[in-house]
Amino acid sequence: MKKLIALGLLTLAAPLVLVACSGKAEPVLKVGMEAAYAPFNWTQHDSSNGAARIEGGGWAGGYDVEMAKLVAQDLGREVVVVKTSWDGLIPALESGKIDVIMAGMTPTEERKKAIDFSDPYYKSDIVIVVKADSKYADATSLADFSGARITAQISTTHYDTFLPQIPGVKKETAAQDFPTMILQVKTGKVDGYISERPGAMSAVASNPDLAFVAFDEGKGFDVEESETSIAIGLKKGSDLLAPINRALAKIPDDKREDLMKQAVDNQPAPTDEATDDLGFLGWVGYVVKNYWRWLLQGVGVTMLLALSGTVIGVALGLGVGVVRTIPADKQSAGPVKRVLLKAVNILLAIYVEVFRGTPMMVQAMVVYYGLGMAFGINLNVLVAGLLVVSINTGAYMAEIVRGGIQSVDPGQTEAAKAVGMKHWATMRGVILPQAIRNILPATGNEFVINIKDTSVLMVIGTSELFFEGRTIDGILYQTFPVYLLVAAIYLVLTFTTTRLLRLFERRLDGPENFTLATSSTTPESIIRTGDENYGRTR
Amino acid sequence: MAGPVEPDGPAQPDGPAQPDRQVEPDSTARPGGPVEPIVETRDLHKSFGENQILKGIDFAVNPGEVVSVIGASGSGKSTFLRCVNLLEWPTSGQVLYHGRDVLARGYKVTNYRTKLGMVFQQFNLFNNLNVLDNCVIGQVNSLGRAKSEARERALGYLGKVGMERYVEAKPRQLSGGQKQRVAIARALSMEPEALLFDEPTSALDPEMVGEVLSVMGELAQSGLTMVIVTHEMAFARDVSDRIAFMDGGVIAEEGPPAQLFGAPEKERTKEFLARFHAG
Repeated sequence: MKKLIALGLLTLAAPLVLVACSGKAEPVLKVGMEAAYAPFNWTQHDSSNGAARIEGGGWAGGYDVEMAKLVAQDLGREVVVVKTSWDGLIPALESGKIDVIMAGMTPTEERKKAIDFSDPYYKSDIVIVVKADSKYADATSLADFSGARITAQISTTHYDTFLPQIPGVKKETAAQDFPTMILQVKTGKVDGYISERPGAMSAVASNPDLAFVAFDEGKGFDVEESETSIAIGLKKGSDLLAPINRALAKIPDDKREDLMKQAVDNQPAPTDEATDDLGFLGWVGYVVKNYWRWLLQGVGVTMLLALSGTVIGVALGLGVGVVRTIPADKQSAGPVKRVLLKAVNILLAIYVEVFRGTPMMVQAMVVYYGLGMAFGINLNVLVAGLLVVSINTGAYMAEIVRGGIQSVDPGQTEAAKAVGMKHWATMRGVILPQAIRNILPATGNEFVINIKDTSVLMVIGTSELFFEGRTIDGILYQTFPVYLLVAAIYLVLTFTTTRLLRLFERRLDGPENFTLATSSTTPESIIRTGDENYGRTR
Repeated sequence: MAGPVEPDGPAQPDGPAQPDRQVEPDSTARPGGPVEPIVETRDLHKSFGENQILKGIDFAVNPGEVVSVIGASGSGKSTFLRCVNLLEWPTSGQVLYHGRDVLARGYKVTNYRTKLGMVFQQFNLFNNLNVLDNCVIGQVNSLGRAKSEARERALGYLGKVGMERYVEAKPRQLSGGQKQRVAIARALSMEPEALLFDEPTSALDPEMVGEVLSVMGELAQSGLTMVIVTHEMAFARDVSDRIAFMDGGVIAEEGPPAQLFGAPEKERTKEFLARFHAG
């Protein structure tokens, strides 16, 4: 067990060291993007086609990346991509985790209230992606979409401004990302979704059963130029604004179009003949063959977070549980100690209630972004994730430990008192060993829950298994095969873990039988065997 | 009620030869001279909320004495014994150890408890430890003995109660009688000045009562100071120097076994004993 903990801490320290080292390289421009919105930005597993390094592993390519590189070159900096979920982009900018947002983001009035924008670096038009064989594929005006079920991405102009412009539209719930909407269209859950032309081009390129409808001037969406252009997001009052605008001015329109065409051609979606006839199982095989490294990394991060989080959480829970069971009656404690104990107990109770009573996803947002915004503390995603999992587990374990301690027969404490043992000695030598055995099934349960629940950490961009799955889906647009594979991996992880824990429990219980000492077992041999220290402090 | 054990023939515990070690009482003095009691209680009261259990108990046990405390269920016998080694904190009154008040603030209670061994009705063996370690943990933790020495002593006392062959067994693998014998060895391993027994045979199946009583009988003969709360009247009569009869939270009558069982003075004592003889 000790080895395991040491191993966990070691693996934990590695990314920290990496992060610490990376600070010394030439000045970087931290660019925030989803890296899952081709052709603007995507994730790939090598540096081909001039992809930029993603902080924490992997490579990002796309139009945003190409433009970022040109801008950064002008600023004398090196691009580092910080992979961030769409909703997390603005908080990440505000908390200083990234320098700029280049994520195909439109400079809307609402966004301008929170952040500054550069001049546009791309202009496009708004289209609707539909199934190629649907009646809407031949539409030419918005009126043709009357009665259609249409969706768009959450918190975008697409959803908030354009969608209501379709007369008689059935407005569907906003979707999290494009892969989701592509799947919704393919499965007939919606009739279409609103997209920029480049995004639609990509989607159709990798999904031959889709088509997109563009509109002639006056027949389509009523669009302000600022609503279809995309711009670089900057922190309010950033002194990068002027240099960035100067850099953008040096990139002519035809160069931009070239880059966009390249991006559409280079995007990693498998449009080639190799994937043309892949069935469901074929896709699963394709994912395993081409992305096993990503999945494996996801498994590694997930297990690291779950294991270290559980170990630290259990230690935390043991500490809190033990403190909360210290007797505070008049005989065992003086007045000062009693007041102190009471105060500590109240604090611990608050800790338990707060972290048990709020969703881990929210805690992750608060710890990762909130600490940055409020106190300028910028934690590495992995550290922030581990912190959240640990304190969350600790809060649950504290109550489990308390129950475990209370479930030990009070006679055990009395017997320990009767042989003159003090509180801590009794805890260590008698009560905790029994309490720990009692809480072992619950602890295993926590571990299994942690393996699954670390998936919520994708909101802060921790590259655990679910996050990797999302990334792969963002490239391949093969939601069902990818997530089924991810689900299978989770099941294997949790099942194996449960079995191992059961085995561990049985070993801890020791053999059913004992051997009677015989005449050949001399008292001396019994006296010399073993080296347990019975909880005594050395 | 289980049958009383033969007084004059305590069965030898099974197993190989007894170790040479004898339980050494602190003093061999029997009552008669002006001896200082090991433990004394004065006007001891104990209430649980409104419920008054002990209503003023004056009691003393002298070195080498064997005192049995008898009385009906609910008369306060066990509470009294638990107040003596402070497992329950008395509401008022005094507990004196060699004349010093152990209830005084700052008195080292844990240290005091090591001087009084306790044998519980429910055995209370440490479930996570094997038989040997049950007898070692207190010695190492509270007395600071080296482990090898603690093991040696534990083996000696386990031999005395006939359990030295079970050193590796966990409590859950033992019968009730075996558990209680180990519990006695655990208490003896601390080499206390007196041993307190809280209804040591009440939780046992009838056929196991004998083995425990015979061990206790031997201890009484070896000169160990003992206070025994018990319902085993015949045993109490045979091994005790003195009997205390408790009724309604006070010691109603106290005296040598022959007097208390043969010619009790109080009406309540007579009634109580009559119920036993009738059975």
